[in-house]
Amino acid sequence: MTAHAYAGRTAIAGIGATEFSKRSGRSELRLALEACVAALDDAGVAPEQVSGLSTFTMDTNPESDVMRSLGIKELTHFSRVHFGGGAPCGTVQLAAMAVHEGVADYVLCYRAFNERSGHRFGTGVQDRVPGHTAEEVAYAWTSPFGLLTPASWIAMFATRMMHEFGVTSEDFGRVAVADRRHAATNPRAWFYEQPITLEDHQNSRWIVEPLHLLDCCQETDGGQAILVTSLERARDLRRPPVVIEGAAQGMAEDQQMMRSFFRDEITGLPEMGVCARQIWETSGLGPDDVQTAVVYDHFTPFVLPQLEEFGFCARGEAKDFIADGNIELGGRLPVNTHGGQLGEGYLHGMNGIAEGVRQVRGTSVNQVDGAEHVLVTGGTGVPTSALLLGAA
Amino acid sequence: MTDTTEPDDLLAALRALVGTEGPPTTPRHPVDETLVAHWCDAMGDDHPVYVDPDAAAASVHGGLVAPPATLDIWDRGGLKHARSADSPRGRALALLEAAGFTSVVAVNSELELRRYVRPGELLSNVEILDAVSEEKATGLGVGHFVTTRHRYSTADGEHVGDLLFRVLKFKPGTGRPAPGPGEGAPPPPDPDPALRPRPAINLDNEFFWEGARRHELRIQQCRGCQALHNPPTPRCPDCGSFDQGWIVASGRGHLYSFAVPRYPQVRGFRYPVLVGLVELEEGARLVSNVVGVTREQLSVGMPLEVCWLDSHPAQVEGETDARGPITLPQFRPATPPRREATLAAADVAEGDALPLFAVPVTTTLIVAGALATRDFTDVHHDRDAAVRAGSPDVFMNINTTLGLTERYVTDWAGPDAVVRALRVRLGAPNHPGDILAFSGSVQSVDPATGAVVVALQGANGLGAHVTGTVELTLPTASTPTQEASR
Ligand SMILES: [Zn+2]
Repeated sequence: MTAHAYAGRTAIAGIGATEFSKRSGRSELRLALEACVAALDDAGVAPEQVSGLSTFTMDTNPESDVMRSLGIKELTHFSRVHFGGGAPCGTVQLAAMAVHEGVADYVLCYRAFNERSGHRFGTGVQDRVPGHTAEEVAYAWTSPFGLLTPASWIAMFATRMMHEFGVTSEDFGRVAVADRRHAATNPRAWFYEQPITLEDHQNSRWIVEPLHLLDCCQETDGGQAILVTSLERARDLRRPPVVIEGAAQGMAEDQQMMRSFFRDEITGLPEMGVCARQIWETSGLGPDDVQTAVVYDHFTPFVLPQLEEFGFCARGEAKDFIADGNIELGGRLPVNTHGGQLGEGYLHGMNGIAEGVRQVRGTSVNQVDGAEHVLVTGGTGVPTSALLLGAA
Repeated sequence: MTDTTEPDDLLAALRALVGTEGPPTTPRHPVDETLVAHWCDAMGDDHPVYVDPDAAAASVHGGLVAPPATLDIWDRGGLKHARSADSPRGRALALLEAAGFTSVVAVNSELELRRYVRPGELLSNVEILDAVSEEKATGLGVGHFVTTRHRYSTADGEHVGDLLFRVLKFKPGTGRPAPGPGEGAPPPPDPDPALRPRPAINLDNEFFWEGARRHELRIQQCRGCQALHNPPTPRCPDCGSFDQGWIVASGRGHLYSFAVPRYPQVRGFRYPVLVGLVELEEGARLVSNVVGVTREQLSVGMPLEVCWLDSHPAQVEGETDARGPITLPQFRPATPPRREATLAAADVAEGDALPLFAVPVTTTLIVAGALATRDFTDVHHDRDAAVRAGSPDVFMNINTTLGLTERYVTDWAGPDAVVRALRVRLGAPNHPGDILAFSGSVQSVDPATGAVVVALQGANGLGAHVTGTVELTLPTASTPTQEASR
């Protein structure tokens, strides 16, 4: 039995974001700073009180620049998590550990980019110069064959899911429809007041078969920050504390970066299973204790095995769990009540943590009654992370 | 000569020839076992009744026979033989050449066999000019279709088969331009495979790419515990050994999963790209392209075999590329095995699908096929001549297509299936480097007589190369198979 010492003793005290757009008109650094300032304002914490920063290795905004512009005099903790969208809950975990160990009092976790108006991840890796590092060599097994984008890597798993479990494109589509329905009532969402039907999903053009355009998350400009501190300090701040009941990173055997095609089975997400085991063991809770979840949705297919890895349904049965309406508002487990990355915006999962905080605070635009424990997951197909948030 | 003949005069002169009959051809050689063996080698046809006297004696044929698709090759003149002035088609083609219709392609060949012919028999044919079309605008160029009928007989006058043959005689350079992309649509990216992303190569994976250059599919094998690891790794996660070697995999496997990228489109690929996750029979998996199939033919579990794409040359823009040439493994449908026990008519149902059969089109196949069918037309063996005739490279002759068609169907049906007719129509040419992908299904079956019609297609990268039907007689419960041949 694992019990993480920081769990239950650390909290999220503030959240802050820029608007989510297709063209921010501002630098990525400025987006990061605006998000950090908003998170500090949300908590009522001054920038000088911050002594730690945590972000993604993919983020272009060095801690030194963020520190300077926020007017922070000293940093005693700065850390980054690798593997793209797998990182969001990992940054919060690092922050919580630093706080619990007394290394830092307030740690800002941030992620900001112009992922639509600047470098678009969806354009793929075809321009990467073939080098000699293990990370570069890994692309040799896929890029020369035309598998060049995140959508193309995920599609390979999706086809196998369809083959083994009888999952259909409509099953993937139901995830998109739920996300967009939730986004339609969220004024922060890019697709505010723009719900879609399953027919819209089916009629949207192919990106990489079996993925339609509406299976793919948005490309977004924006920034999101999360302020982590001790539960004790958080009690004295502007907002009620949101307790970090569990936090986990996970990698599993034969892990590859979005291309774990070589495992015996490729229809599950064992790295998410590693997170799930830690979250349940640390919190002493289980799937029945969770009222709503933010499930990472860069592409719809991988929402299914996440529900299975956390035990909300049995392996291969997520398609039925979803078809029965369980992920909708009013269902057993409303998922992505902010609209997810398909509906609200693609902030590498950091905006999903903010929605988890709002659900615990009771301030979501699509508030789930009695949301005591909220699960948030990080990116899928990559080494990943997860959080369980709860009321103090 | 001049090409100022008035079209009306030309057509009148051509039409005047319709219905004329030539004298019987004068064969120089009998049906010949050696050439049959060359033909079998070129087509990859291992049917024993063509080459193995013992197997042939035990078959429905009771002895060696010539492949049915060879009916029209035996009385051909050969390399030094000029076109006969007595041939009605020869006279029609001469008129057309004089009018500027200098290029020719075969478009239809329909063979009907009364019986199989045997080594030693001397065949000749009588030709009738059946039809000459009006001037037509085709993809290849403006031209006329010229149709002849040929009646094949043995030296003692036995009628053994018939051929309907149609060629297009056209003016080079007058073809319709290929349809362009839609208004405002971006042009498709250059599909030259040399423009694909190169693989990153280091000390840990170079054995794989060195193997690929030799057309060997190398999979890392631990020398400590014999476990296979793909992608390779410097240290065996199973036993801990740093001592890593490799095996050459058989190249056989099946499709474990697939993805079909359509957007964004990048240089070096033809879209949609068929990307497969291939599980080798040795157990390892790798990502590759599935070639010789359409998107609709992709299915998880389909048997595959490796083939090779020499994608990146050693020289790039005149400079030697220090990174060396690159060859990529590709996978095509596994060549279906030749059936040993002949299908009975009762085993066949309308709509039954034949297995996919992907034939790599090489210069060797084109030249060997042309020579094995005694077709010395320069465009089938001389690249410079083919280019002068407006073609990017040599292209396959119709008799090779016919031979591959026959092999496809008889490999599926089994050794005692008797071919009654082969009818093919040609479309896009087969050039070296392409893949000719056959698919087919049973169009009709008569359980009482054993008569089966198979409809088939052969597609290549340019489109439909061949469509056609093959009529067979399969053994039935009530008719002894010996009856089927004679
Ligand atoms: Zn070993």
